[in-house]
Amino acid sequence: MTMTEKPQGSRTSTIPPEMRSGSLRPPLPWRRKVLLVIALVYAVSVVWAIVRTGLSFTALIEGYGDFRRLLDRMLPIEFRNLSQIIRLAFETFFIAFIGTALAVIISIPLSFFAARNTTPSVFLSGPARGFIVAMRAIPDLIFALIFVRAIGIGVLAGILAVGLSAIGMVAKLYADAIEQIDEGPREAILATGASQVRAVLTGVIPQVLPSFIGIALFRLDINFRTSTILGYVGAGGIGTLLQLYLSGLQYRKALGVVTVIVVLVLAVEFISAAIRKGILGSDPHSHKRLSHRIAGLLPGGKDRGGVKTQVDAASRASFNRETLRPPWTRDRRRMAIFGWGSLAVLLYAFWSTRLSPVRLFTSFGDIFIVATRLVPRDMDWLSPVIVRGMVETFAIAIAATTIGLLVSFPLAFLCARNVAPARWVYYFGRSLLVMNRALPDLIIAVLFVSAVGLGPFPGVMALSIGTVGFATKLLADSIEEVGQGPRDAVTAAGTTRLQEAFTGVSPQAMPAFVSTALYIVDINIRSSTILGIVGAGGIGFSLIQATRTLNWEVVGGILILVFAMVYSIERLSGWIRKQLL
Amino acid sequence: MQLSGDVVRLRGVRKEFDQGRVVALDDVDLDIHAGELTVLIGLSGSGKSTLLRHLNKLHVPTAGTVEVLGQPVADLSGAGLRALRRDVGFIFQQFNIVGRLSCLENVLSGALGRLRGPRYGVLSYPKSMRREALELLDRVGLGDRAFQRADTLSGGQQQRVAIARTVMQKPKLVLADEPVASLDPEISGQVMDLLFRICSEENLSVICSLHQVDLALGWAKRLVGLRDGQVVLDKAADGLSTEDVMAVYRRLDPTGAKHTEYEPAMAAHNS
Repeated sequence: MTMTEKPQGSRTSTIPPEMRSGSLRPPLPWRRKVLLVIALVYAVSVVWAIVRTGLSFTALIEGYGDFRRLLDRMLPIEFRNLSQIIRLAFETFFIAFIGTALAVIISIPLSFFAARNTTPSVFLSGPARGFIVAMRAIPDLIFALIFVRAIGIGVLAGILAVGLSAIGMVAKLYADAIEQIDEGPREAILATGASQVRAVLTGVIPQVLPSFIGIALFRLDINFRTSTILGYVGAGGIGTLLQLYLSGLQYRKALGVVTVIVVLVLAVEFISAAIRKGILGSDPHSHKRLSHRIAGLLPGGKDRGGVKTQVDAASRASFNRETLRPPWTRDRRRMAIFGWGSLAVLLYAFWSTRLSPVRLFTSFGDIFIVATRLVPRDMDWLSPVIVRGMVETFAIAIAATTIGLLVSFPLAFLCARNVAPARWVYYFGRSLLVMNRALPDLIIAVLFVSAVGLGPFPGVMALSIGTVGFATKLLADSIEEVGQGPRDAVTAAGTTRLQEAFTGVSPQAMPAFVSTALYIVDINIRSSTILGIVGAGGIGFSLIQATRTLNWEVVGGILILVFAMVYSIERLSGWIRKQLL
Repeated sequence: MQLSGDVVRLRGVRKEFDQGRVVALDDVDLDIHAGELTVLIGLSGSGKSTLLRHLNKLHVPTAGTVEVLGQPVADLSGAGLRALRRDVGFIFQQFNIVGRLSCLENVLSGALGRLRGPRYGVLSYPKSMRREALELLDRVGLGDRAFQRADTLSGGQQQRVAIARTVMQKPKLVLADEPVASLDPEISGQVMDLLFRICSEENLSVICSLHQVDLALGWAKRLVGLRDGQVVLDKAADGLSTEDVMAVYRRLDPTGAKHTEYEPAMAAHNS
């Protein structure tokens, strides 16, 4: 046995001289130092944020008492005008549906312009990406607020708000999907002498279609949640009723509306999940977890997994050799039903909301006019109130994110199938999460405001609760994906469950933990800018004042600040993510 | 610590997967003596891994009894099971080190059974253990890689980290499940040499599964051949020829019919 490597025989130490003595601390490169400084700044801002938003134990206990009293006033629940509730609930769904369709229609060309591998020119991809980022930075409720003033109260404002802000996510994920394709088929089609456009049509579209559909259905889910609150600012849907009842102190009826919202959000989530599974079931791309998709929403965080399509047994079905028409395989039937079904729902939605599709597009003219008025001509809009509002918005987001994540991390281990101490814990935890997510953040905020009054405190509470529901799900999903091998090895050393969770599971899930935490910071910064619209603190209050008085330059100024804050936090979290992974 | 007598005693051990559709172990009786270096050979799917996984209760037998270090494994749970696992080191084919952690922390994780409470980060372990882990890394020739991420190492280096981790837990018995099956022949020789040298220095009993016959003959004191979950060969390695051993494989399948491999899920220990 000849040995060539060091371990054999040679007893010369491989330990570097500087490590022969001392306490063996891990080295600290400058990037780590910067991260430590950021962590320190973060820790200080958490303390500051908690003081700034008036969070304290006494406030919590008082808040709990207030909430109990609100519940007492809400019970027994009242469904006196159920038919009206249901009519508005459907209107809400149609707003979400048309909004999603609008976003998809605009996102398809936009994403092909934005994607690196299909863009005709860098002069198009740059602006396309900029537009997408801008749409993503501005929360939908802010759009709604502006559109209600620009084109009047009603569903159209809601549809445009939901649709435009959805572009920010849909087009981004579409472009990611396009950038992940296998280039082979397109090259082959180009090699036959086809034009670039046709090569994209034949070589690219079939590869990305399943992702496109999956993303659209996922967004429909989100849009429906958002749409439930649109009525609060006059943009149609069931929120109109909620606002009416809460401002009229008719709490029992309000609880009826909230109940219907919860049931419908759950129903839409289940139906959209079932459709996704039904028509995309055999396609591996659609199995991509939510946590993988959102990884693409952070800078420097793209999931570039290649996708190999599986052989579909049904595609070998017999066909008519005379006509050579494709056979009606199960997949083709499902696809046809889905396609025609979506179109039918879309047409019905237009008919039912008395909206002409043409009006949808001509309204862009009105929006454009308002958009030009939004541009501030000087800095007069920048008042101390607005600065205070922005600071408060930041404080709410930091406090809520921290509280939410502190609860989510341990909870996620209980809600992960492979780590939960018992099956029932897992099922119980997961059902709680589904219930939690069925209540949109802003609806929770509205309820908290009714209970404890205006201010940042109800905002922090609402956002924390929303964070727990969403973050725990994402974290638990990523825990379920860790490799069993290293866990076995750690267990084999004779560890307790808790030790194994720390050493076997956590390091493996750490990239997903980091991504999730940073993503949550991102969305909470956005959400906290609109909390003020329902009275839950932050810049939203100044925003709604400015739109009420048609003070467009102030609105525009606030938008710039919101954009700057959201965008810089996004860049910072992208940088942190890169350092940690 | 030198144990006398048998470190492992299997009696009539049977293991079924998928409600009996797959029989991985079929009535296995086997005694392993202290200080012995036993090599299990057999094709993939012959039950080698399954057998090893029964010895620290990563699997539970369908029937029969498993005794390790004088204790009936079936009765163990909680702290008792953890104590046994601490005494039984396990080396995996896929190394199973935690890729994102540094080499030093991977070695340190072997000491978790000796510590109370969860740990995260090198600094959460006592200083004396950090020193101990570094010495072990040095023994496997990787002392200069202490703070390098483990997933940046080559396969052979990763397995050396895994060996150091196993020694870190101060076991009495080491189980090695195809420790070099994922490595190329030259590196295989180095890693096997390192493994057996350290185990003999530490006076540890070793049970190692291998499918390379030449390696098995070169290292083993005793050879145990498995086929379809049954013991078909059990002899001292001295005087065995390659042909004798190859018979374990050849007799397996005179017709040339295809054998299905079965790699059971590894989550059984969570139950």
